[in-house]
Amino acid sequence: MTQETKVIRQVLQGDIESFRFVVAKYERPIVRMIRNITNNRESCEDIAQDVFFTAYRKLASFDAARSNFSTWLFIIARNKSINALRKKRPLSMSELPQNSDAHNPSDELAEREFFDELDVRLEALPSAQKRAFVLAEFENLSYAEIAQIEGVRIGTIKSRINRAKKELAKTLKEIWCEK
Amino acid sequence: MKSEEIYNAWKEWKSQIDIRENFADELMNQIYRYERKKRKPLFNGHRVIELISAHRFVKAGVVTAGAVAGLVRIMFVVYAFLAC
Repeated sequence: MTQETKVIRQVLQGDIESFRFVVAKYERPIVRMIRNITNNRESCEDIAQDVFFTAYRKLASFDAARSNFSTWLFIIARNKSINALRKKRPLSMSELPQNSDAHNPSDELAEREFFDELDVRLEALPSAQKRAFVLAEFENLSYAEIAQIEGVRIGTIKSRINRAKKELAKTLKEIWCEK
Repeated sequence: MKSEEIYNAWKEWKSQIDIRENFADELMNQIYRYERKKRKPLFNGHRVIELISAHRFVKAGVVTAGAVAGLVRIMFVVYAFLAC
């Protein structure tokens, strides 16, 4: 029995304080995932708290035979992120920042501009592509885990990630050519 | 800086995260509050009084019901007295 399974059992038996272990272990990946999907630095921690609270309330329904605890938690975080995005007004193309014509890659400010540009492209990706990309690139999850979180086949995830990478590579190329 | 380097630097930048210090404490407090509320019985004397005094219409309803019950009781007494 893993330490995690033991902790979950303890929580279910009424030892609420043990849940702190779960929070300490997953707070960073969950907050990071939500922040990168919703692109909202202000509310990502509040959404993450909601994720952990929901996980606590539904802990009895977690089935270790069906998925890892981390996958189960990421599924809750995915659903909460989608709900948060639905409430958020979508960004129109006219609101996207225009390319600056004074790029100097050696400059720290220019590097930040590149990051902003990549952020904008990431934000503009179709929601499912963005989620798959974030889970693969920033959370280093396997295709199989992402497929389980998204409820689709591994092939679909591979294709979503490839398309997202191609789009971002195109952006990088554009930035590089403008130099 | 090559484009690959920019990409890796961006990934690293996106992976950095600062979480407020009291994140876990706030969450645990929320959980404890939830547990206290869950364990509180739905109906006890104190809660019924709280419920009644919280809503104007409930209060009026309880007073009306009391008045009607009193009136009916008086009518029964008068009827019993007249029947003798």
